[in-house]
Amino acid sequence: MKIKRIKKHIPLLALFGIVLFLLPPMAARAGGMSSGDDPRTMTFDPIVFQPPKAERRILSNGMIVYLMEDHELPLIDLQITIRTGDIYEPANKIGLASLTGSVMRSGGNRSHSSEKLDEILDQIAARMSVGIGSTSGSASLNTLKKDFDFGLKLLTETLIFPVFEEDKLNIAKNRALEGIRRRNDRASGIATREFFKQLYGTDNPYARESTVETINAITRDDLIAFHQKYFVPNNMMLGVTGDFDLDEMIKKLEKTFAGWEKKPVDFPKVATVSERKKGAVYKINKAISQTQVRIGHLGIKQDNPDFYALSIMNDILGAGGLTSRLFQDIRTRQGLAYSVGSAFRPGKLERGFFLAYGATRAEKTLQAMTTIIQHIGEIREGLVSDEELKRAKEAFLNSFIFSFSSPAQIVGRQISLEYYGLPGDFLEQYRANVEKVTKDDILRVAKKYLHPDRLIVVAVGDESLFDKPLSALGQVEEIVLTP
Amino acid sequence: MKKWIFIAITIIVTPFAAFAQSLADRVIEHTLSNGLRILMVERHQVPTISFQIMYRVGGVNEVNGNTGIAHLYEHMAFKGTEKIGTTNYAEEKKILAKIEEINNNIIQEKRKGIHADDKRLSALEAQREKRQEEARQYVIPNELAEIYDRNGAVGFNASTGKDFTNYIVSFPANRLPLWIAMESDRMAHPVMREFYKERDVVMEERRRSVETNPGGKLYETFLATAFAAHPYGNPTLGWPSDEQNLSATQTAEFFKIYYGPSNTVISMVGDFKADEVIPQLEEAFGKIPSAPIPPRVITEEPPQRGEKRAEVEDEANARLMIGYHKPNLHHADDAVFDVIDSLLSMGRTARLYKKLVIEKKIAVSVSSRSGTPGARFSNLFTFSATPRAPHTTQESEAAIYEEIERLISEGPTKEELQKVITNMDASLIRSLRSNSGLASQLAYFETVAGDWRYTLRNRDAIAKVTAEDVKRVARTYFKKKNRTVVTLVQTESPLIVQGGSP
Repeated sequence: MKIKRIKKHIPLLALFGIVLFLLPPMAARAGGMSSGDDPRTMTFDPIVFQPPKAERRILSNGMIVYLMEDHELPLIDLQITIRTGDIYEPANKIGLASLTGSVMRSGGNRSHSSEKLDEILDQIAARMSVGIGSTSGSASLNTLKKDFDFGLKLLTETLIFPVFEEDKLNIAKNRALEGIRRRNDRASGIATREFFKQLYGTDNPYARESTVETINAITRDDLIAFHQKYFVPNNMMLGVTGDFDLDEMIKKLEKTFAGWEKKPVDFPKVATVSERKKGAVYKINKAISQTQVRIGHLGIKQDNPDFYALSIMNDILGAGGLTSRLFQDIRTRQGLAYSVGSAFRPGKLERGFFLAYGATRAEKTLQAMTTIIQHIGEIREGLVSDEELKRAKEAFLNSFIFSFSSPAQIVGRQISLEYYGLPGDFLEQYRANVEKVTKDDILRVAKKYLHPDRLIVVAVGDESLFDKPLSALGQVEEIVLTP
Repeated sequence: MKKWIFIAITIIVTPFAAFAQSLADRVIEHTLSNGLRILMVERHQVPTISFQIMYRVGGVNEVNGNTGIAHLYEHMAFKGTEKIGTTNYAEEKKILAKIEEINNNIIQEKRKGIHADDKRLSALEAQREKRQEEARQYVIPNELAEIYDRNGAVGFNASTGKDFTNYIVSFPANRLPLWIAMESDRMAHPVMREFYKERDVVMEERRRSVETNPGGKLYETFLATAFAAHPYGNPTLGWPSDEQNLSATQTAEFFKIYYGPSNTVISMVGDFKADEVIPQLEEAFGKIPSAPIPPRVITEEPPQRGEKRAEVEDEANARLMIGYHKPNLHHADDAVFDVIDSLLSMGRTARLYKKLVIEKKIAVSVSSRSGTPGARFSNLFTFSATPRAPHTTQESEAAIYEEIERLISEGPTKEELQKVITNMDASLIRSLRSNSGLASQLAYFETVAGDWRYTLRNRDAIAKVTAEDVKRVARTYFKKKNRTVVTLVQTESPLIVQGGSP
């Protein structure tokens, strides 16, 4: 749940241009302002805005539904979250969850061959997707209003009665194999992947990777079984926003899913991660002019009460756009990197992570790495400045309004909160708690949750060009990449 | 089922027409006396506003020797103004002038060529570095961004393309006066602060997105091969040797020429009242003096004399790009290319995907695009493919040519043409869902086509395209002689992956 700097849509133009910097991943009228036109001293009243709330209902088959009307455009959006994920797939079939999701969509359903289904959807300009990620599955439908009933029927058939045509499964498997073949083509991808493997453990469900063997081991029957186990109405939540009447929509959904019966789902136990008590330095040799660096360790779960202070701490350290310490020092002052920053991402089901990242010319690798590590140390050593705290808090609080930019965003968030067992008013609590964060809180959580002695350091690059050997950071272990 | 689809198709035209009309009614246009164009749409659901400032300048305005300057200026636009980002501009200015003096000496020394004195050069570079350190005492780094952050800015960023440079941000609606004060200052009084450090940052950007990025390398080589004369062939990030020699003085001059009000479009969408805002914009932006019309891009790409082929060698797996020269967006055939692009690439039923991925199973992805790398000038219709081993780029290339031949001999069916317009309408409606999406559409077409209504006119032109048009255009342009083919060739295969059905 990243609340600041929401990137809901990639603007059309981002596709054409080169951007300045990259990120990691009812109205009330305007309030008064002070006189004068100096941007530094202008002050503004807080925005008064009562965001609309989504309506929550439960269908008779146990499906939870969130709804919100929005009549500006003749569109209807439907989003579904399914409790599943690749963390539940067996270790000898890594890739099964992802294949199940993609072939549900590509492999046809009971009433339509895959070819027919694609043809119909393209003819009515509808968009339908199904996918399964690490800790959840999703499905969506976007249609013009007039095509919604028809689109809903198609989606329902796909969710309940997918066929998993053998030919489409083969195409999907071949695609996965080609992905494996290409996974070492870019240094940035290698660095991130190897970092997480070291962090969570190569065999841990949160970091393990598919291989040629695990993909080849997957059969159509595996997909059928995976689908049948998780795609039951009591195991999913549905959100719908757009140009419809709420009561009519509920009746429609009730009727559409009427025959779909509840079934208990038995979730496999997922191995928990164990913390590595010592730091380590890993090198991956690649003959490139720029070194990719990842530095970090395990973090916290989302329900940790220190999350609020940590998120402000991390904004000051490396996530606050152009004004964070890492950006200011490594990019603006030293000109060492285009991409640099940090993430302190809480985990939903498992512990999350702290990660500082950067890419710098080979000849400056150690200078950049040492500077990053130094900043991780410094924020544990002394209080942040009043200005830093003020900036980070105000940035968060004043951009809060953008958490309510669209009904689809509001409904999607409510579903996500409920899915992960977080309170429905999480965002309001978040806001209230951020307001209370002090400099002492930041120092306390930095000391408690940043561990310079446990840093996992990964560098992908050409060590022969480095300003100093990597061993300056500790004993180095080389990772030799295998497919 | 058949009947149902038929109904769906016939109904769609009407809601779109109504929608297009309602959009046209909602766009408020205003031109300041200095020529600055303003486009506004009020939308009161949420108290926020999305802003775009788009300048009709980009990579296409560069020539050999200064490539990368438009993009480097874009970075400088975040360094503040004479007021923002400094504790004492009067003093800072003196040091900045000294830095330029030293840099000018470096330039003069380098002009001596083989007689240039390396010792003197390194001494001068050390002096420049020292002066930069000295200038830093007056700098408040990233103050502009800090003020925006504190006020709840979201999506504060910028991008440079071949045809345009775009500055974007969204604010809580009551920050409108802040945006006006800051942006009018930024437009009138930029300062080339921390210039030589930022040039290093841009070199890192190049290493990241080109030198260590196989796709970036392929694209850069592809454009440089396809265009022998026109500046579309230069990388927007600049050639490294040009980039490393750009000066702050030169960049400030580039700003003066291309960032004048008549070369600028502002678009804003969100919770404001246009009649209240216009006088404020008049007051702040209207003061900026008008500037002469910037030089036009004179160079035209001469007709190609034969197929061009090139290779990029890399450790990474193979990829393919093909391009055909075509006219710009004002040409009558442009809408036909849009239709061809949709027929070939839109959705899962697109011709290329069906043929290469589903039927022949020789690629994992394939797509086309009309308007590479820009639209204002004659450009390219391009194809990209990622083959699936053991299949080669040659096989993908041959299959793409088969599809082109099929386009020429058979043309599209009525159903296919209907599908194109249906999807075009739907994606236009979808693109307007967010304030920033609408603001960027308006600014883009106003800047690049000279009129935001182009998007509606083009839609109507697309609706009129016939199967004969498609055949004619494909036959005319998709000729071997007019073609550029570049492949990413894997020089060594350090990692062998077995398996998968051939």
